[in-house]
Amino acid sequence: MTDHRIPAGDLAPEGIYPPTEEMLRAPVPDAVQARQKENLRRAWKTPQGWRYWTAVNNSEVGVWYTMTAFVFMLIAGVMALLMRLQLWVPENDLISADLFNQLFTMHGSAMMFLFAVPMFEAISILILPAFLGARDMPFPRLSAYGYWAFLIGGIFVIGSILFSAAPKAGWFMYPPLATLEPGIGSDIWLLGLSFIEVASIAAAVELIVGALKCRPPGMRVNVMPLYAWYVLVVGGMILFAFPPLIAGDFLFELERSFDWPFFDHTRGGDPMLWQHLFWIFGHPEVYIIFLPSIAIAAMVVPTVARRPILGYSWIVLSAVGTGFLSFGLWVHHMFTTGLPNISLGFFSAASEAVVIPTGIQLFAFVATLIAGRVKMTLPMLWIAGALAIFTAGGLTGVMVAIAPFDWQVHDTYFIVAHLHYTLFGGMIFPVIAGVYYFFPFFRKKMLSERLGRWSFWLIFTGFNITFLPMHLTGLLGMPRRVYTYPQGLGIDWLNQISTVGAFIVAAGFAVFAWDIVRPKKNQPQIARNPWGAGTLEWSHEIPETKWGVRSIPHITTRYPLWDQPDLVARMDAGRYYLPDAEEGLRETIVTSVIDARPIQVQRVTGPAYVTILAAGFTGGAFIFPTFHLYPPAIICAAFAVVSILYWLWTTTARPPEKDMKDVGLGLSLPTYAAGPQAVGWWAVWITMLGDATAFASLVFGVFFYWTSSTAFPPPGAAHASGSLVALATAALALSWALTRGARGLNRAGRVGLARGALALAPLLTLSGMGGFILSVIDLDPTSHVYPAMMWALMVWIVAHGIVGTIMQLYCLAGSIFGKLTPRYDADLWNVTLFWHFLGLTALVTGAMIGLVPRLM
Amino acid sequence: MRDSDHDRQPHPRGDAHEFAEERESLWRITLAPTIWAFHFVISYAAVSVYCFRYDHLAAMGTLRAALIAMTALMLAAIAWIGWRAFQRWDVRGTGEFSNPEGNAEDRHQFLGHAGFLLALISFIGVVYDTLPLIVLASCR
Repeated sequence: MTDHRIPAGDLAPEGIYPPTEEMLRAPVPDAVQARQKENLRRAWKTPQGWRYWTAVNNSEVGVWYTMTAFVFMLIAGVMALLMRLQLWVPENDLISADLFNQLFTMHGSAMMFLFAVPMFEAISILILPAFLGARDMPFPRLSAYGYWAFLIGGIFVIGSILFSAAPKAGWFMYPPLATLEPGIGSDIWLLGLSFIEVASIAAAVELIVGALKCRPPGMRVNVMPLYAWYVLVVGGMILFAFPPLIAGDFLFELERSFDWPFFDHTRGGDPMLWQHLFWIFGHPEVYIIFLPSIAIAAMVVPTVARRPILGYSWIVLSAVGTGFLSFGLWVHHMFTTGLPNISLGFFSAASEAVVIPTGIQLFAFVATLIAGRVKMTLPMLWIAGALAIFTAGGLTGVMVAIAPFDWQVHDTYFIVAHLHYTLFGGMIFPVIAGVYYFFPFFRKKMLSERLGRWSFWLIFTGFNITFLPMHLTGLLGMPRRVYTYPQGLGIDWLNQISTVGAFIVAAGFAVFAWDIVRPKKNQPQIARNPWGAGTLEWSHEIPETKWGVRSIPHITTRYPLWDQPDLVARMDAGRYYLPDAEEGLRETIVTSVIDARPIQVQRVTGPAYVTILAAGFTGGAFIFPTFHLYPPAIICAAFAVVSILYWLWTTTARPPEKDMKDVGLGLSLPTYAAGPQAVGWWAVWITMLGDATAFASLVFGVFFYWTSSTAFPPPGAAHASGSLVALATAALALSWALTRGARGLNRAGRVGLARGALALAPLLTLSGMGGFILSVIDLDPTSHVYPAMMWALMVWIVAHGIVGTIMQLYCLAGSIFGKLTPRYDADLWNVTLFWHFLGLTALVTGAMIGLVPRLM
Repeated sequence: MRDSDHDRQPHPRGDAHEFAEERESLWRITLAPTIWAFHFVISYAAVSVYCFRYDHLAAMGTLRAALIAMTALMLAAIAWIGWRAFQRWDVRGTGEFSNPEGNAEDRHQFLGHAGFLLALISFIGVVYDTLPLIVLASCR
């Protein structure tokens, strides 16, 4: 019997854990099994007909996501072929310079933002739950929302080239070229890709929480699949790498739309700030692409070597170490910008240091292969190709990390060759290996061995024919991104070889794409574990079932299918946890971060239109401003907020029908969690970490202008009103205190007082926002970068204040309508956490607007 | 539930169990790389601010000496973290280089091993990033 005085979020698990061997041996009667399966089937049924698109299950969303990213990749590949055709002979006039500019810009942007990063998210959404024996990710609707946002944003960005309206300043959009670019190309890039970055951060939140909290009982951090380690590291990197770019996009778009001169040096701005913000994102991004792909190798290699991975800890070191070091490399893209040599030295040194962890993981793979009995399967063939190509790319990387060498080859085809070697070896090849390896898992069919080998040799040889000569083309002096070249430079034949190679690569991709989509109806049913692997995803059921795992196992080894012999039979018989869905709800188990002790049954959400609506309206809010259509954008933003509120209100953190649930094996778990126990709280914490990073990038901007110019703030410049800033900061701080107070009062049962606090707090938030607006209203943001920066900080805090107000009112409404009670207060915990960050942001903003400029 | 490590296998170093029961944090293994990050950011920021704004005020030598002194402190901190992690790994006590078992002891030692290796790489990273301070005597 549960004590109803205890807040539901504080309930502890009851019963036996871990299960004993005896309990696991006890048979489950056939009738019970049949009933359980029926319940699970009903709960996890995929919607039929046109409702299919409302699905949110990871197995559906993951496939859409992967296929969409793959199609974008093929389109970007066709752009590359067009460029190679143009470069076939000197002084060619096949396509115009203007179109060529659009093509190389879109090729890079699409490959990076529409293929490489989303592909990681897509594959992880698809397979991570299976690695972890989870039924689904913790926030299925968030995955679906991210997917729809990606689809809309992707079509918007890539479609622009059909209207000759695509961005054309190169995929890193350097100002002043990109800020002064006429037309809407740059805006499409900025707003479209910002929208997609939001989707990326959503996926990162989902994946981090998934890897930390949705592991099966018993799967401690030292036995979790290496893929999960990589997901954690990469998720963390996304949180710190994408926000600087979002901050940069924010400033950039303010300059494009309202002429605030952040990157205009005639009014105190500095184009270098963009380069810093872009590459603080851009270099870690290379590793955000590389690490999850090499993580696939970490799953394939033990299987083909038929032995556990050698140096598990070393690979963890390498993933975490690379994750950190990759943030100290960004200036190696800026070696020719005239920064002090000693500054370049730091980045050069870090660029050399990052080779160590990167090399360690490759050596660990090679060692595992040497120590095992290798079976040269198709996935292994692609991994072998990856190792060869990536190593070559790594070696040229060591060369260009040395500043004087870089000065010689900067912006030449040598760089083009280098980056394609790292990306093909570090991403394309391992991902294709993963497709061959995991295809039987997600489609329950095999891909063709013969077509696979054809495709491999075509892409492998074609790739080297294309890009190996480019090293020489670059050393001979051909700059990248030129639409043509004069005769007689000795690079004609090199370009012709590259063009031939590009078409061989294309032929290889055609074979690969055909293999994926060709009908496989007549193929015999595959073996359940066709590669003889040891990890949990190969406990999948054949023919396919939609419930993920029949029962959630207790895992005590790194390769449970090799080391826990009865595991699969017991999972199938429903002897482990959550074998049933008697309430007809979708559920999975939440466990503790380090040791994966079961702590809660998490009810996850099912099919919904609201995610599609929310993504569509969010898309409108980003896309309309491209055409300077602000009223429809604001209307879309309002509808997006309404859709998201509806989604949250109706399905998240609702009081459950019972507080504890028997999950089997003598264990009862709470069905409700609040605060740090809850996955929602973790998601808010992770999101806000990313948000704080974006804010920190703006603050960095202020100091950057101060160091790069002697006139920031300009002598005699008008400052924001100090007293108003102080009052505004105080109002927001008080609003924070009331929110925090409301949480305590509500828990203590003083609901009336809590409601009072939650009603008063939004008024304070609004007056705080008003105070910040009034404090800078007299400054002219178009006159100089100093007032522009103060305005940008004001816009940032006001935007957050609006969100904070909505959250406070949401909790107030929850309290009034019985969703939020002293026992069930998860929403208030999450909102308080948001407000901790917002309170801090307000204090720093107050200091940055009201105090710091006066001292500079 | 908190003391539910009944699944722990019997272990030769039984006395270490109590130590292993402490609630460990994943964050701890990132301590050494975080020091590397601070070293990197502080060196870069200090040199940038000096070179762009204050190079007329003082000689570069003072700044370099200060930063190298900071490096020494940070290297000592990393070494200490590495030593603590090495003890947690306990390879000399157990003779086990890898810790693949799903029990509390192995998890404890694994985090020690990972922490030790990360301290090693962070140490190397800090040394690398100090080389420019030693080799280059001016902003240009």
